[in-house]
Amino acid sequence: MKRDAFSCCHPAVNFLFFVGAFCMMIAHPAYVAAGMAAAISYRLLLGARTGGKLVLTLLPVAALIALINPLINTGGKTILFAVFGRPYTREALCYGAALAGMLLSMLLWFSCYNLVMTGDKFTSLFGNLIPTLSLLLVMVLRLVPLLFRKGKQISGARCAIGKGAGEDAPLARRLREGLSMLGCLTTWALEGSVTTADSMRSRGYGTARRTGFAVYTMTGADWICMGILGALLAVVGVSVACGAATAQYTPDWYIAPIAPLSFGAYCLYLLTPTFLQLKETVTWHFLRSGI
Amino acid sequence: MALFEIGNLTFSYAASGMRKALENVSLRVEQGEYIVLCGTSGSGKTTLLRHLKSVLTPAGKRSGSITFQGVPLEQVSPGEQAAKIGYVMQNPDDQIVTDKVWHELAFGLESLGCDQKTMRARVAEMACYFGIQDWFHRDVASLSGGQKQLLNLASIMAMHPQVLILDEPTSQLDPIAASDFLNTVRKINLELGTTVIITEHRLEDIFPYADRAVVMEDGHIIGSDTPRNIGKNLWERKSRMFAAMPTPVRVFYGSGSGGECPLTVREGRSWLSRSFPDGAAVNALPGHSLPEELEQPAIALKELWFRYEKDSPDVLRGVSAEIAAGSIHAIVGGNGAGKSTTLKAICGICRPYRGKVKLFGQPIGKYKSTQLFHGMLAMLPQDPKSLFVANTVREELAEMTEDVQRQQQIGALCQITHLLDSHPYDLSGGEQQRVALAKVLLTEPRLLLLDEPTKGIDSIFKEELARILCRLKEQGVTTLMVSHDVEFCARYADAVSMFFDGQILTTDTPRRFFGNNSFYTTAANRMSRHVFSMAVTAEDVVTLFRENRHE
Repeated sequence: MKRDAFSCCHPAVNFLFFVGAFCMMIAHPAYVAAGMAAAISYRLLLGARTGGKLVLTLLPVAALIALINPLINTGGKTILFAVFGRPYTREALCYGAALAGMLLSMLLWFSCYNLVMTGDKFTSLFGNLIPTLSLLLVMVLRLVPLLFRKGKQISGARCAIGKGAGEDAPLARRLREGLSMLGCLTTWALEGSVTTADSMRSRGYGTARRTGFAVYTMTGADWICMGILGALLAVVGVSVACGAATAQYTPDWYIAPIAPLSFGAYCLYLLTPTFLQLKETVTWHFLRSGI
Repeated sequence: MALFEIGNLTFSYAASGMRKALENVSLRVEQGEYIVLCGTSGSGKTTLLRHLKSVLTPAGKRSGSITFQGVPLEQVSPGEQAAKIGYVMQNPDDQIVTDKVWHELAFGLESLGCDQKTMRARVAEMACYFGIQDWFHRDVASLSGGQKQLLNLASIMAMHPQVLILDEPTSQLDPIAASDFLNTVRKINLELGTTVIITEHRLEDIFPYADRAVVMEDGHIIGSDTPRNIGKNLWERKSRMFAAMPTPVRVFYGSGSGGECPLTVREGRSWLSRSFPDGAAVNALPGHSLPEELEQPAIALKELWFRYEKDSPDVLRGVSAEIAAGSIHAIVGGNGAGKSTTLKAICGICRPYRGKVKLFGQPIGKYKSTQLFHGMLAMLPQDPKSLFVANTVREELAEMTEDVQRQQQIGALCQITHLLDSHPYDLSGGEQQRVALAKVLLTEPRLLLLDEPTKGIDSIFKEELARILCRLKEQGVTTLMVSHDVEFCARYADAVSMFFDGQILTTDTPRRFFGNNSFYTTAANRMSRHVFSMAVTAEDVVTLFRENRHE
């Protein structure tokens, strides 16, 4: 994955943004549409090929959810037709579409979160709050791939003395072989963890209250970014609480008219990562043409 | 005031009953010294080193005293010990705690509760000193073994220790990475004045530069003197440890000369020049060349091509070779050149996408897998631990065959009969190697493949391994090994091949192979090539030396 401008911001900014994006799931149709657009655009920015694939798989799923909702939820006034004697209403269909849109954005944001908030960013952010827990997380992150590699090594080694069980071997033999391998791997891992524990204590683990080394520092730009995101979040929060984005679908629909301030803040917030990337591209373009 | 002062330390492990792991050990370590601790496996080196740091001290019965800078060690606070006494262990992988290089560098400082500013300065400093800047943000998993061990060293140096204790730090590294690492340790000692206490199998690289060598045997210190005197002392005692001395020392005493003993290749060269000012009359040993074509090779490889992933580069790029039946054949070459992959291709773990593997004239595909690995082919992996699945050595052997008589025969051959009731993980590296070898041999292979068989084992175990291989050769077993260990290959192989750039470039007898190389060759050859030609082992040089002197 190539690094985008937003990923290069301080982890605190990244984290704040995603928390906000997950919380601001608003069922108002305009907001749903804007949220989907923002999520899709940022996901594509993070990786056009993988992002495109993901969007293309998620869209039919979302459509299916929208179509299925009226079968379960029969509230709503305007009956389009009947399925198995149950009414299939327009209101329920629209409600389904809104739900599906929110789910789609949620999943896309989640995928972005995984790409942007890598393990080390998360731990560096919370390392100082919960040092032991974050260290544990880091150690697990390291252990899992290590065990996989060792497992592969063991199966190769056993294969070369005629002990491995191939695909065509009987189930009982494969089970037994799997157990032997697991035993070997466990002993090996335990032995390794004794050394790791020695190495930790030898480097002073447990002698003082742990501090966390920060590879990331808050720059001026990060503070500004954080301030803007916070302000936008506050605007949206307050206006939504006052009913600026109320939307009710069943039994009768009521959709509040779009409040420009609230909607504008919402769009700006979700488009921040995309804007940052665009800004960087433009800046670089001019810098390069200046050379 | 001495840095460490060990007085009459006696120790026995809790489980071992009366047997003493250390007995009446007294040692004084001065500030800034570079001390090499040598001894065979099981002589108590690790036990002694672990006593120098309270958190690592093993459980057991102990008497005697240890002081650190005049204060009894147990009264020095754990935090102070963590910072002032650095300890590097054998296994590069298991010592690493976190997943990122920067985090590992900072780990010790984080544990000590350093503030952000100090931590940043120290980490930056260490990253520069050790040349880590380029891989500062990398995942630990993506580093090579040598880089990992360097990272372990750097993360300890970040705490500014006064003494660095290294317990066989390079036993898992290839020779180039190992000598890089040892040079860094020496640089730390010279430039920063950090005291170094180190144990090593590869004495060649460190012995000449040490201020003092301390020799241990069965839990006693039997000598503590300058390296030159220790060499003499071991020779006079006829100690087994003499086999581990650097080549120039072994040649010097083997040839029965007097005067000052050379320690390095350079000193060895000038000593030989002085001994034979007009050149040597007899300057080569009789040698033979390999036959051009083998009648029935045990293994024939023809143009093997292989890569791990579809888009990754080729690892094997047309490997062709013929291995004579009943011989010991060695493949040497750089790291990551594809030597181990060649072995995997021969036993079918990696399938080459082009080329042929023939065993005794038959394509490998013709053998059924049950047939192939029972009585035909077996491989000893690099890490013997990947073969251990049981709780005792006896069960390990029983996993391979139920024939108790055969188990005993192989157990006797590999000299593991006294270990049958131990847990495989309680054994030393060399013992584990032999247990794994016994397991492999119980499949009755006619073809034995060995992947780095001498990795992490000391010179005495190496000789025992060589003895086993020679016995197998007498029984008609063909051995193919890949190794970094030039000295071992020169001494025991019948033929040596050079692996480079995914191919086998040359094959010859060890004498002609190493005799014609000038860099990639043994210490004995580098030392004697201006006087004798094609002398590749210490024994060769000694023989030639004596022949010339008799005239």
